[in-house]
Amino acid sequence: MDIGPLIISLIYQLFANAAFLFLAALGLIIILGMMNIINLAHGEFMMMGAYVATITYHAGVPFVISVILSFIVVAIIGGIFELLIIRRFYGEELGALVVTWGISLVLGQGTLLLFGPFMPSIKIPGGSYKFGVFSYSEYWLILIGVCILLIVLLWWVYSFTNYGLQAKATMQNSDMAKCLGVSTKKIYTITFSIGAGLAGLGGALLSPTMTIAPFMGQQFVAPAFITVVVGGATNVIYGAVGSSLILSAVKTNIGMAFGAFFGTVALLLTALIVIRIMPNGISATFQRYIDKKSLSTK
Amino acid sequence: MKHLLNLIDGDKDIGRGNKFWAGFFLVLICFFLYPTFVSSFRASNTAFYLLNIPMGFGLCLIWGYCGILSFGHVAYYGLAGYAYGIIAGNLLGNSWGPILGVLGGLVVCTIISGIFGYFVFYSRIQKWIIPILTLVFTLLLETFFVQTSGYQWRVGRVLLGGFNGMTNIPFFQIGTFEFEGYSFYYYCLVIVLVLFFGLRILVNSKFGQIVIGIREDELRTEMLGYDIRFLQCVTFIISANLAGISGLLYVQWGNYITPSQMGILQAALPVIWCAVGGRNSFIAVIFATIVLNWLSFTLSSQGNQYALVIIGTLLVITMVFFPRGIVVMIFEKMQKIR
Repeated sequence: MDIGPLIISLIYQLFANAAFLFLAALGLIIILGMMNIINLAHGEFMMMGAYVATITYHAGVPFVISVILSFIVVAIIGGIFELLIIRRFYGEELGALVVTWGISLVLGQGTLLLFGPFMPSIKIPGGSYKFGVFSYSEYWLILIGVCILLIVLLWWVYSFTNYGLQAKATMQNSDMAKCLGVSTKKIYTITFSIGAGLAGLGGALLSPTMTIAPFMGQQFVAPAFITVVVGGATNVIYGAVGSSLILSAVKTNIGMAFGAFFGTVALLLTALIVIRIMPNGISATFQRYIDKKSLSTK
Repeated sequence: MKHLLNLIDGDKDIGRGNKFWAGFFLVLICFFLYPTFVSSFRASNTAFYLLNIPMGFGLCLIWGYCGILSFGHVAYYGLAGYAYGIIAGNLLGNSWGPILGVLGGLVVCTIISGIFGYFVFYSRIQKWIIPILTLVFTLLLETFFVQTSGYQWRVGRVLLGGFNGMTNIPFFQIGTFEFEGYSFYYYCLVIVLVLFFGLRILVNSKFGQIVIGIREDELRTEMLGYDIRFLQCVTFIISANLAGISGLLYVQWGNYITPSQMGILQAALPVIWCAVGGRNSFIAVIFATIVLNWLSFTLSSQGNQYALVIIGTLLVITMVFFPRGIVVMIFEKMQKIR
């Protein structure tokens, strides 16, 4: 067998798996990194994104627009939850964890009661093309592109916009930011709704590739949280990108050799080993390395 | 003896003094007399509420007293249940089978939680990671047991059974006496009582004081010369074993276990019992476990689909308005009025 197509196929799977983990974890890692809140309702936010996309898609809206709509709708819902409940739990990580779990139960079962157990699925947009003996789905290639776009967009938002700078200031020292006239409450609300919206966006983008059901959020829980644990919360972008690539490398190879279940087991083992070596995740280690480098060149 | 009584009456849990204990034993007598008024079926149903209490205790110990939240205690519940099923099922007909099954279940819990605890506590990871890792662990176990359907997945002559779970798990027996119906109810009640007094002694002892010290300030406790990693690990193993006891009782009660017992919805339940009752008090956990199990059982047996919504809402309301638990806060209010 020719080795070229095999390598390309491996690379494709590596990036497709990384895209899945990245989309599943992005909203979670933003909320965690910026606000120190672990959002266990994350899977349910993704589920709502998928529902919004499905409902609008079957109402005749083009898929691209229904994805954007799902971002907006879930961001608004997330903002409402922040205003009503989450804001009472700043500084209490475990309390926030438990209360978001309660929210997730209500959202999951509530969706089941409102919409029933099944939804019509979305056809995967785009076709596929063959290279060698392997064929590739165009949609996953598009998703990889979307991930890169999201990374650039986030980097721009958190480096150049007014909101991004204020959010970074709030993250580093919220008291000082308050003294300098930043409305930290507003920043937290916006950050939470962006995180929720990105979860919805991820859910909408992944919705054509899976069955849509009220408890579909549960299947994102394990991969998303492992990605976040490995990535750490020191730097959102480094963490999300680095850990989704590493985990995908593990999952792709082990999964190919031993099957999907052992791929997931390998994810957990990787997470245990990574936190044994780097207790604060990849992003903290990487950030330290960059800080050291920039100090030594000065 | 005096010393032990003092420990049981210690100040690390709500409920002290003669009045409290008088009320406690009055309620206890009601529990002991309860089966004489109801059918064996009803007693067995009530035993289901009781058998969940040890898992609530386990979470109460690790979360309320040690400050570490585990979302995955159902993993040990399931592991102990499966271990009992495998061992007792293979020794079917042998009167020592169930006892060996119980021991085997607890050994499995100890080993697995020890390995997990080693990785988690000895790497001193941040506190928020522990609930996530425990949750992911139990979800993985669930996935593993779901795919064990088919004849190739068997241990000895016991089939693991995949999604449908393991069936025909034998009752607990001592000699030739099998615990079912009324006797199972008393068996659960005695276990809960023993664990309750044991844990009251534990948290009021020196060990308990140090564990509470870890919850209050890890660094300070460590500076006082205690190996907090070891102590956290030991507390975690104890609480995993408590969850394991619940799992053992569950399979002895229902004679079957399915992988969904380790699923995400089950994983939420002990957290809810502890949060609603009050995570710093074993007596509040007993109360909340019985009431909430009764509530969800009643709701779902009527075919009411709102059970999860109601329980989720209850959890959110408790966390927002009664952060230390409804039972504990009512109790404290009552003491203030007096």
